[in-house]
Amino acid sequence: MATVEMARRARFESIWAEHSLKVRAYCVRRVAAHDADDLCAEIFLVVWRRIDDVPPAPKTLLYIYGIAGKVVSNHTRSFRRKSRLDEKLRNLGVAPPVDPAFLVVQSSDDAEVATAVRNLSSKDREIVMLYAWDDLPRDDIAEIMGMTRSAVDQRIHRSYQRLARVLEPLTKPIPSPPVAEEGAT
Amino acid sequence: MTHDQIDRMVRKANPLPDLNALEPVGASVLTTPLERRMEMQTDNRQVTEDPGQNRSRGPLVGIAAAAVILIAGLVFFLTRDDAQVAQPAPNATAISDEMDTPLAPGAYFVDTDGDEESSLGGTFVIEGAGWSSMGAGPRKVFGEGYVSLLIVEVDQVWSPACEAPAPIAAGTTAEDLANQFAAAGFTIQEAVSPVSAFGQSGYQLVVDVPGECTGTANPVWEGPTFGRFYHEPEGHVVEYWFLDVDDTPVMVEASWVPSSSEEEVAELQEVLDTLVITP
Repeated sequence: MATVEMARRARFESIWAEHSLKVRAYCVRRVAAHDADDLCAEIFLVVWRRIDDVPPAPKTLLYIYGIAGKVVSNHTRSFRRKSRLDEKLRNLGVAPPVDPAFLVVQSSDDAEVATAVRNLSSKDREIVMLYAWDDLPRDDIAEIMGMTRSAVDQRIHRSYQRLARVLEPLTKPIPSPPVAEEGAT
Repeated sequence: MTHDQIDRMVRKANPLPDLNALEPVGASVLTTPLERRMEMQTDNRQVTEDPGQNRSRGPLVGIAAAAVILIAGLVFFLTRDDAQVAQPAPNATAISDEMDTPLAPGAYFVDTDGDEESSLGGTFVIEGAGWSSMGAGPRKVFGEGYVSLLIVEVDQVWSPACEAPAPIAAGTTAEDLANQFAAAGFTIQEAVSPVSAFGQSGYQLVVDVPGECTGTANPVWEGPTFGRFYHEPEGHVVEYWFLDVDDTPVMVEASWVPSSSEEEVAELQEVLDTLVITP
């Protein structure tokens, strides 16, 4: 019995060593930095509980991403509830504390693009993030999302069309300020 | 903006482009609370939580959250399947050919050739309320607007749609048919491009329908099971897929109107996600 338990623990530690960085990055890309580590721990808790069901490589990480999607989704719902509470506090003249995790140094254009991505519908957002931020192949995304490959293709295509409409102003050249004529006062 | 331009912008906006930017996973940050929880999982001992170690959750909240996550995860893994291989939903009902017949949530089959002996056609799943039949696919009306999906074979094409006095025979391959529609006189949003969709290979085309090409005076195509089709209103957006299904061109037409909201188009996409075309 002890041997079985040791084998399970060894397998878990091996999965941890191999994938925890990617899973942590997955969380950092989706939630505030101070929540990312907690969520990563929650994800690996589920992995531990289901260690006997975790498929071998190369499917292991896809399986963990599937768990991660659900854990982050639950967290996001809680965050939205908190945001609504913050909004009520603001209406009462009480300023909620600023979350330093949102003060990430990023160019304003990149921040605008990231906001546009986050404003996509939940399924489209997750697919775009898996594709463009986590750099997963579309076939893997289809497996994680439980969709056909063509459905993933369509959703990326349509999401990019939507982002193009929203982000069009970013690609327009900013007109130069008028130059004062020589001698003008 | 092109697809590549958007792709570059989205990738550049990645909040964590380089994994190595993460500090090494510290045992004090992650492994301590995790190991403590693992111990709770393995030997069921009562654990006294040090409030200084787990700054965001008490042990009971952690256990409850983990239980919720476990159940959610379990449901997820029990209900997901290997859907990345396109398989039609089982037990599909033949869609009513009576226009505006309400469609209850469930799986539906559109017979594109009208031959009960063959399985050629499309199967899709409706999950929400408010959908009705267009004969060859579902439609959902939202106030003045609507979103719709048609799965058909095409016999005749009016090209250019806004001017042609008489139809011509439809192309006998997906590529021919795609090129006929591309030349139909609509405003092309996305040119014909090869695609793999709904379990088949073919070509995709996206168009806007200008005002002079709408109405009953300007038919666009005619099919054996649907009859004559025309667009209404102006600005109608149509996404076509022309698919070669065992040498038979099948056309999938998803469309919405200018007043359709993103949420409404998203409902259409949910249906498209389930569509599988079978020979």
